[in-house]
Amino acid sequence: MSPRRTDTGGRIDRLKTIRFTFDGVAYTGHAGDTLASALLAKGVTLFGRSFKYHRPRGLLTAGVEEPNALVTVLKGEVREPNIPATMVEIHDGLVAISQNRFPSLAWDIHAANQLGGKILSAGFYYKTFMGPVIGPLKGTRFWMFCEHFIRRAAGLGSAGSAKDPARYERMNAFCDVLVVGSGPAGLMAAKAAADQGARVILADLEPRFGGSANWSDETIDGTPATDWVRRTVAQLEGRDNVRLLPRTTVWGYYDNNTLAALERVSDHKEQPAKGEPRHRYWAIRARSVVLATGAFERPLVFPGNDRPGVMLAHAAERYANEFGVLPGDRIALFTNNDSAYRAAVALKKAGAAVVAIADVRPELSAEMRSLATEAEAEIFAGHAVVATEGGKTLSGIKVQRFDMVTGALTGDARSIHADCLLMSGGWSPTIHLASQAGAKAEWDAARQAFLPPKPTQQWPTQQWIGAGAFTGSFSTVEAIAEGRAAGLAAAGGTGTPAALPIVEAVPGEPDPAPVFEIRAKGKSFVDFQHDVTAEDVRLAHREGFVSVEHLKRYTTLGMATDQGKSSNVPGLAIMAEALGKPIPEVGTTRFRPPFAPVSIGSLAAERFGDLKPERLTPMHDWHVDHGATLYSAGLWYRPMIYGHAGETVEQAYVREARATRESAGIVDVSTLGKIAVQGPDAAAFLDRVYTNMFSTLAVGKARYGLMLREDGFAFDDGTTWRLGEQDFLMTTTTANAGKVMQHLEYFLDVIWPELKVHVTSVTDEWAGAAIGGPKARQILAACVTGTSVDNAALPFMGIVHGEIAGVPVMICRLSFSGEMAFEVYCGAGHGTHVWEALIEAGKPFGLVTYGLEALGTMRIEKGHVTGAEIDGRTTARDLHLDWMLSKKKPFIGSAMMDREGLVASDRLELVGLIALDNRPLNGGSHIVEEIDEANPHGSIGHITACCYSPALGKHIALALVKGGKARHGTRAHVSDPLRSRFGPVEIVSNHFYDPEGTRMHG
Amino acid sequence: MVERQSPLEPEFHVGSHGNFEHGVEILLTETRPGSIVQLAAWPGEEKKLMAAIRTVTGLALPDGAGGGLSDGVKSVFGFAPGKFTVADDAEGLAAAFAKVVTPDIGTVTDLSHGRTAIRIAGPKAEWVLAKFFAIDFALPAFPIGAGRSTAHHDVFAQIQRTGSDQFDIHVFRSFARSFWNALCHASEEVGYEVQ
Amino acid sequence: MLITCPYCGPRDVIEFTYQGDGNRERPDPASQNFEAWNAYVYDRLNPAGDHNEIWQHSGGCRAHLRVVRNTLTHEISSVAFVRGDHASAARRKAEGQS
Repeated sequence: MSPRRTDTGGRIDRLKTIRFTFDGVAYTGHAGDTLASALLAKGVTLFGRSFKYHRPRGLLTAGVEEPNALVTVLKGEVREPNIPATMVEIHDGLVAISQNRFPSLAWDIHAANQLGGKILSAGFYYKTFMGPVIGPLKGTRFWMFCEHFIRRAAGLGSAGSAKDPARYERMNAFCDVLVVGSGPAGLMAAKAAADQGARVILADLEPRFGGSANWSDETIDGTPATDWVRRTVAQLEGRDNVRLLPRTTVWGYYDNNTLAALERVSDHKEQPAKGEPRHRYWAIRARSVVLATGAFERPLVFPGNDRPGVMLAHAAERYANEFGVLPGDRIALFTNNDSAYRAAVALKKAGAAVVAIADVRPELSAEMRSLATEAEAEIFAGHAVVATEGGKTLSGIKVQRFDMVTGALTGDARSIHADCLLMSGGWSPTIHLASQAGAKAEWDAARQAFLPPKPTQQWPTQQWIGAGAFTGSFSTVEAIAEGRAAGLAAAGGTGTPAALPIVEAVPGEPDPAPVFEIRAKGKSFVDFQHDVTAEDVRLAHREGFVSVEHLKRYTTLGMATDQGKSSNVPGLAIMAEALGKPIPEVGTTRFRPPFAPVSIGSLAAERFGDLKPERLTPMHDWHVDHGATLYSAGLWYRPMIYGHAGETVEQAYVREARATRESAGIVDVSTLGKIAVQGPDAAAFLDRVYTNMFSTLAVGKARYGLMLREDGFAFDDGTTWRLGEQDFLMTTTTANAGKVMQHLEYFLDVIWPELKVHVTSVTDEWAGAAIGGPKARQILAACVTGTSVDNAALPFMGIVHGEIAGVPVMICRLSFSGEMAFEVYCGAGHGTHVWEALIEAGKPFGLVTYGLEALGTMRIEKGHVTGAEIDGRTTARDLHLDWMLSKKKPFIGSAMMDREGLVASDRLELVGLIALDNRPLNGGSHIVEEIDEANPHGSIGHITACCYSPALGKHIALALVKGGKARHGTRAHVSDPLRSRFGPVEIVSNHFYDPEGTRMHG
Repeated sequence: MVERQSPLEPEFHVGSHGNFEHGVEILLTETRPGSIVQLAAWPGEEKKLMAAIRTVTGLALPDGAGGGLSDGVKSVFGFAPGKFTVADDAEGLAAAFAKVVTPDIGTVTDLSHGRTAIRIAGPKAEWVLAKFFAIDFALPAFPIGAGRSTAHHDVFAQIQRTGSDQFDIHVFRSFARSFWNALCHASEEVGYEVQ
Repeated sequence: MLITCPYCGPRDVIEFTYQGDGNRERPDPASQNFEAWNAYVYDRLNPAGDHNEIWQHSGGCRAHLRVVRNTLTHEISSVAFVRGDHASAARRKAEGQS
């Protein structure tokens, strides 16, 4: 016989049949089944192949700690690997496949790896991938070639490459009390805290609240524990100060009681509802936290302990009681503690034959003997299982007399026919979250387990209270009492004496015998998921890896998806024995987030695809409607060109720049950073912030300004307009707007709090259009009302207020293009209206719209600097802006700007370059004195910006070159080995075009 | 006057969207106030500024950080030490304040064009906002009238609670469409209506 | 990590920008004492323990805060406005904010 569904019992809905496939075979199960329970009910015992040896593996557990039964779930093209079958709720249409097998789960060619067990032992990778190796592929290169095949043979499931169409979300939550775990302790804690009026979040990684109450078969307050759970959950559901989060794994515990949780919102559904996410990442800020995370049962380490059919005792109990599935017909148990006896009784009740209980302890209590009798099981006290038999399923076990003090096996081994072996090696509290929070686990000799310490003041940014099995209190009676106390304390309440629920449970002592391993011939697995055997641990010890952290990394014990949930303590115990030290002296590794695997999608949440929000100018839609090709500049989208049909980018920008210089062009400059600088001390503040003087600027005038950083390097430039005595409008480069704002705020808050100045970002308040070219003034004159725009009313750097098409505008005459040019500002909501009016007014004058490429071209022709030159490494002198460094006043950076290194003669300085071979130049190309294509060297600088200049009819560039001005008129070469661009250039002034500025001054 | 263009226009689709077949639990709209003004007091002059706000709007600000109120036409809230945002359905608020907020009290900055006010209302408003902002939207922590300054990634937001399940979110105009789209997307699961 | 802004209450660290060591003394603007300027611009204490730091609540009220943070435990023992004269903010109690 094999595993099967019981006739009655379990929390499944037997009236609801669910259809799914596993490895292409159609199966049915019931609502409430996991993939594990549904397959087990159909007699499936083989779930996967092990990591290194490809040994057949079945279910070890029934929960999140499952190391063996990892599957890949397919949703359309999307595959999600490495999910424990124990955590997959079945639904109609579920498609799951097994992993790490070829060609099939039953016949796997890599199983031959078992024969090479010695080679694949601990440290295999470290030892093997070291050169040298004889042959054409020398040293490690040969192994890199082999690695591909080895990695394919050893491993977990493979990730897919299809785009995941599922929706993921992030949620922020706040509560007074977060309760992690909804077993009896967690439920009591949540209820107690909620009764105090606290805002409570109760999270459990299982779909069903109740934890062990779902399968313990205990009685609480005279009714089955499951009924008590149902009643308690119903009470909590009815309260608006409680949020229940089933299917939610709290996986990270961070500073200040910030916890991260993953809610699997719709994995269990065939289709998510409209707009419903697949996963939600909850960032929970909890005033206090109750950890009621329970405990994991430990396997025993003995030869053949990984054979399908060998599982943890409580897991079998859970399959029987919660899912109505018997994991076998003839069940044997192997234990070092009392908890397995309850499992024996449960399985007997569910209909299995319990053939034997092997207990390492020679003396058993009367209660345990009576439970064994109830289970009709033969007791083998002072015995151990020394072998398992069978192929892909278990057919029998061998037991032998065992001395738990010496570990010696004596007498003849006796064979027992069994198709399922349940083991229990004691329990380890699930202390992962406490460990993440900084708590150092303490070894409890009686419990043979690491217990969480009492919360201390050592890590003052996390506050938690433990309850139930998490603290090592394994009985439901204790869990209920501790849960209530924890809930009260967490809510800041004081307990009024009230009767606790009465629990009827099977007797049992919590303390196991200190036995972890039975040393006999054959592979005894410690870490099932990573195929780490007891011998591997001893090998690591012999090779000198004695610290637990080294042990973990060398053997890979406790790595991968289960992070050693079942293997940690047995591994440490074996290491401790090898070292001849007690376990507490060996210590344990610190657990780190995540507690269980987390979907990358949930971490990205809404930031998929385009990772950043888009920033759009007021005229954005107009640009799009008029054929602009958009360019993303930081968060902004700006027109790059307004291309005509059939035009290349270069043709377009050359046309746009040429037309601007010939007649007029208009460009959207709304992205420029704009900061309102207001207050009685605004002018004094600007004098300190800029290298040049602003207090002398007249109202209604603008001035170009340069800022340095404190260390004396150039920071940003722009024009600042004086709109009123105490009212300035500062403009910054698009890219630096945020940084400049922060810079100003820092100085006002921290350095000069006495200054009465307010700074406000008004970038978005204004739409800006720069209109330049010989016809620009005529175009403005044609559409501006309320003011003249002639040279008298609007001189260079003058500002006037007027109207365009009924909208108030502010016009400043300044030029970036080098032409007679004006910046027209209006309220952003009127931006398109004014823009269209300007375009209309410009029609008779041949006005063109131009984009960033033409803007860049004209600024290169003029030799103006931007962020490409103000790159954080250049000084004002490097950029020939030293004329802006006032000597009359200190300013930010003035004390540091004359440092030795910043005034050295060999610094990179701004120059212009002309390609002498009449070919395009590349940004980033190095400049060299002599070309050496084979061995590029001797860089004297690099190109920061380049273009074809329609004004000069040449390919030109701006560059930062050592010596700078001194090289004007000399030749050099561009050296760009990456793009194979070498060629002669002439070094010239950065002011290529109209250096006297006659065009803009008109 | 020339009407102001909304930055949301091409993405503003009046009607029910998302999972609305199961009921609409979110209402989204743009409030389009005629004026949005930022007022900032010099240290120690906050009381005088609050008095000026009362003079101009008739709204008596409560003391305390983030305090605010709304009468349905005008609203005001603190968003930073000594700083307040005032919105009014009518235009001309900045000019009105310029008369009473003298240079010795503080400054007036007109942001009528620069900020976009999006209103989210309905029983799931707190739920949807929790997807964006790491602040506590529960009524006791965020009372009616109060304001909060926060950010969602790069999008700065000033949020005023204008009803038990209604919030007005002021965002930079250039980010408004992107944020609006995100808000609509996040509201799909509960069903939303754009008004 | 949470920082309790005196105006906005406890907020996620993601809303804040680190603005440098709070122990720096900026020399008098007109000072030519190069050693002092150098120390101000470049020298940092980097203590293991309590550290006096400047943070800006850049994703909130934008005020600069003087934060004493333990670099070993992340415990924040005090937060105050650098510009310390906004009395109204102090009225808001941190507890009312979580």
